[in-house]
Amino acid sequence: MSQSYNRGTVEDFGRWREFSAGMWAWIFHKFTGWVLVGYLFTHIAVLSTAISGAELYNGTLGGLEALLVIRFLEVGLLAVAVFHILNGLRLLFVDLGVGLEAQDKSFYASMVLTGAIVVASIPTFLGGKLV
Amino acid sequence: MAEHYSSFQRKGSRWLLQRITAVFLVGVLAFHFMLLHFVNHAAEITLAGTTARMSSVGYFATMWLFLVTATFHGVNGVYNALVNQGLDGTQKQAVKWLLVVASVLLVAQGTRVALAMTNLI
Repeated sequence: MSQSYNRGTVEDFGRWREFSAGMWAWIFHKFTGWVLVGYLFTHIAVLSTAISGAELYNGTLGGLEALLVIRFLEVGLLAVAVFHILNGLRLLFVDLGVGLEAQDKSFYASMVLTGAIVVASIPTFLGGKLV
Repeated sequence: MAEHYSSFQRKGSRWLLQRITAVFLVGVLAFHFMLLHFVNHAAEITLAGTTARMSSVGYFATMWLFLVTATFHGVNGVYNALVNQGLDGTQKQAVKWLLVVASVLLVAQGTRVALAMTNLI
């Protein structure tokens, strides 16, 4: 028979110092999910300028891309998306019962790989014409 | 015991759909980022280029499915996170229908935008 441990609830954020890797993965996945769904609504709003024609669409996208702060926010969005993808793959495997014994290591791997991909992408994201 | 913690009641239809959409979104979101940041730089996007891409049936269909699955996955995830935090009763019903309406509006607007970007119709 398997042994079980009472780790308390993740929702009790005051216990964050006691959180294990799996709990941090759960929190980061929720946080990145909230950011991505918020961005989805914003993204469609910005792209809606296409309905009014090329001038507004090109001007809006070009104007946003000319701002350095938008470039940094895009790097942040990339970090959030890459982590959500990698940790999401990890969750799919966990749900299939694959690699359960290494789920903490796969969380750390998701974090490291996210960091590496984001750092490697910075030149591309910050490159190009700015104001 | 292995640490397994999910906001979902496993084996439900929303649990299953969340995972099916996840598999699709993993590939399409990565493709979307690659195409619109690395192959085509975001700063160089114009409506002419967007229309050229969106006028390919396969690309249009993929992007529209991306919109629908991302909306479902995101909104379903938000709903489950809120239920997991203890949302119940009338509040739960109100949030559920608010999210349903927001999703329908997002997909409707996204479809309008997609149609405005294509020469297919």
